[in-house]
Amino acid sequence: MGVGAKRNLSLFARYATLIGLALMVLTFSLLSPTAFPTVSNFVNVVNQASLVVIIAVGLTMTVMMGELDLSVGYVASLCGILVVGFMTTNGLPVWLAIPAVICIGAAIGFINGVLVAKLKINSVIATLGVGTMLTGLAFAYSAGAPLVSGVPPIFVDISLGRWIPGIPNNIVLMALLAGLLWFVVERTPFGQEVQAVGGNASAARLAGISVDKIKIIGFMLSGAGAAITGILLASRLGSGTPGAGDSYLLTAFAAVFLGSATLRDGEFHILGTVIGALIIAFGFNGLNIFGAPTFSQYLLQGAILIVAVGISSFSRLLAES
Amino acid sequence: MSRSSSPRIPKCSVTKVSQQQILARTVNTLPNEEGGAVLLDAQGITKSFAGIHALRGASLVLRAGEAHGLVGANGAGKSTFIKILAGLIRPDEGQFTWDGSQVSIGDPHHATHLGMTFIHQELAFIPHMTVLENIMLGLPKRTRLGSIDWQAIGKQIAPIAQRVGLDVPLGASAKTLSPTQNWLVNICRALVRDARLIVMDEPTAALAAPEAERLMAIVEDLTASGVAVLYVSHRLDEVMRLCKRATVFQDGRSIGELSGPSLSKASLIKAIVGGELGEQYEPKHFPDRNSQVALRVEGLSRAPRVKPVSFDLHRGEILGVGGLVGAGRSELARLIYGADKRDSGIMELEGQSYDPRSSTDAVQRGIGLVPEERRAEGIIPHRSIAFNMHLSSLAKITFAPIPILNWSERKARAKEIADKLLIKPRDVDVPVVRLSGGNQQKVVIGRWLLRRPKVLILDEPTRGVDIGARAEIHRLISQLATEGVAVLVISSDPDELPELCHRVIVLAEGAINGELNGSDITRNAIIAASYA
Repeated sequence: MGVGAKRNLSLFARYATLIGLALMVLTFSLLSPTAFPTVSNFVNVVNQASLVVIIAVGLTMTVMMGELDLSVGYVASLCGILVVGFMTTNGLPVWLAIPAVICIGAAIGFINGVLVAKLKINSVIATLGVGTMLTGLAFAYSAGAPLVSGVPPIFVDISLGRWIPGIPNNIVLMALLAGLLWFVVERTPFGQEVQAVGGNASAARLAGISVDKIKIIGFMLSGAGAAITGILLASRLGSGTPGAGDSYLLTAFAAVFLGSATLRDGEFHILGTVIGALIIAFGFNGLNIFGAPTFSQYLLQGAILIVAVGISSFSRLLAES
Repeated sequence: MSRSSSPRIPKCSVTKVSQQQILARTVNTLPNEEGGAVLLDAQGITKSFAGIHALRGASLVLRAGEAHGLVGANGAGKSTFIKILAGLIRPDEGQFTWDGSQVSIGDPHHATHLGMTFIHQELAFIPHMTVLENIMLGLPKRTRLGSIDWQAIGKQIAPIAQRVGLDVPLGASAKTLSPTQNWLVNICRALVRDARLIVMDEPTAALAAPEAERLMAIVEDLTASGVAVLYVSHRLDEVMRLCKRATVFQDGRSIGELSGPSLSKASLIKAIVGGELGEQYEPKHFPDRNSQVALRVEGLSRAPRVKPVSFDLHRGEILGVGGLVGAGRSELARLIYGADKRDSGIMELEGQSYDPRSSTDAVQRGIGLVPEERRAEGIIPHRSIAFNMHLSSLAKITFAPIPILNWSERKARAKEIADKLLIKPRDVDVPVVRLSGGNQQKVVIGRWLLRRPKVLILDEPTRGVDIGARAEIHRLISQLATEGVAVLVISSDPDELPELCHRVIVLAEGAINGELNGSDITRNAIIAASYA
């Protein structure tokens, strides 16, 4: 393959996911012109995607540094139970329960970060171990049953209400948090250091960057993002349910890896993650509209993850060859 | 080197070579008046990489059962010669005669088949396998009822292990081996493979004196039993003791074989340095010897590579650190930079105690490093020029105290430095991976121009860059010194230090072996001081 052909292919790869999204929307619109291409359905899809986006942009912070955080789904599950439990069992007001639980998410991230950066434990193992323990804690706290009674209406309104007419609050929160993290990554010294650690950790260390510290903060942001998703999920469900957030792990990973092949050559970035999450949400929405059986959703979920990681590695390979 | 068994190597089985053969190998070729018959005759070996000559007609004649020394300064072509011998790279010109017949060594298997084995500085083993498994790696093994009969193989290997004095059980895990034991296992490996020539590249570089002594005794034993050894070393005393003949490489040429009375340490050094004086440079006298001491180093050491080293580095001074590869120069830099912990010694930075816990700490205190391995340790390859330049001084381009980057100032400052350093391309948003080596190096130097350290350490600042970029980098280093930065330059290029430095210290085997000032700083003086 010539250099020119390679560059063209590399350019094409950057936009391939966006072209895929456009083709998918087009196909669904043609096949189901009444149900799919409507404003209310699009708002619905983005609303569905919002929780995935929030957990996935947090996850992006760790993946950008070459680490994986497999605990995010379990953090979301535990935090959903905790926030409901704090309000109903412990009688904490909403405005106190929410920040407390976000802090707990960040603290779990701190533990992950210390295990990975200071104790040099492989991040897959460390976060899987921590995540499994969190599941145990969630069951211990909730005795295995969903916490449903006494959830304050104001808490449920966070997810179901509309501060801006026509736009669900989760979309607003998603936009705010993704925008904030984009800004942190692209426009602050910390974000530049995160990118440097991910790009070449030895060079970053010799340039004077405290690699361990940056990694720990990255895991804390990932934990906090997962906690927020857990809280919003509990608000949407009106309950704290064990295991409710577990499935977000794979979806978030698929979004992150799809995003890395979008607009850039296999580099993880916040905007890409947001687009990746939207692609997945539109895909599932389409399947729902056509009444695809439940089993096919699992098939699609697994296939998307594999394809996403494949595209990501492939576009990196293209850029480096 | 891959050791997978191949049908092209029919003879590599211990079952076929009896222990008696291994233990009491006799030279079956007729000895000539100078000792053994010629085993290896390499003539006119030439090799160039991308137009640069690594070897220009080097020759070497080695006789069966002799220990033959191969010496030369950094870049004289020794490593290239060994790689060609091992079949790792192919020569452009030249011919090899092995045991009387002309051969062309196509690949590592072929070299093994001929009876050559190579023991490199980094002795590679599979750590979680046993000593015996490592010795037998890639060889066909005796089986019993379909499974490998390790007991029988062990019995066969035991006398060989005993002969070289291997003092660990064959069943021990390879990762527990000391450097000496590692080396002994390699010798066993060579003997089991029926080696007629063992090439040893800096075998004692990482060893203390008593261990080196033990290894030399084994080399003497090997040659007495008819195995030839090509002994490649910077340690001329060892070469003198072991070898009756030595070949000296200089600038890719073999400039002669020294033997008998003509072989002495002085004659070796003379041959290594060569007759040429190198380019003459205007001696650079340090303008202000009374200027403040920026960095004081006293008794700094870390075993085994850095023995206690002391020096003062003044503000505005360019101090060169010369010496051979492996002399401990980069290791010294890592100690100053806080990348490694020192065993002993104290440091002072502008009169205050300096004890870096990490490289982050060192940068905070005002030390900068341009590392030797540019790609692995210098740059973030897929990020832009601007990104890479600002990496050590991000706090300077924020709207302090708010930690947000001033994007326009970021770009403007990067552009300013890129223009000053004549970096191509001028667009500071281009990823540095697309730049040439010289321009990448300028980006790393630009990082420290933005940071303004008190002390800047440059490790091999112009390795692999073209002549134009080299001159520009030298100009920059001089300019930084004029502005008051204390500069420490490590270089293996014997012409670089005379061109650049006010003063040069030369390390040999981890200790300062010479200090040169002003007009005494010459290529030859540096090379001569490189040999302890």
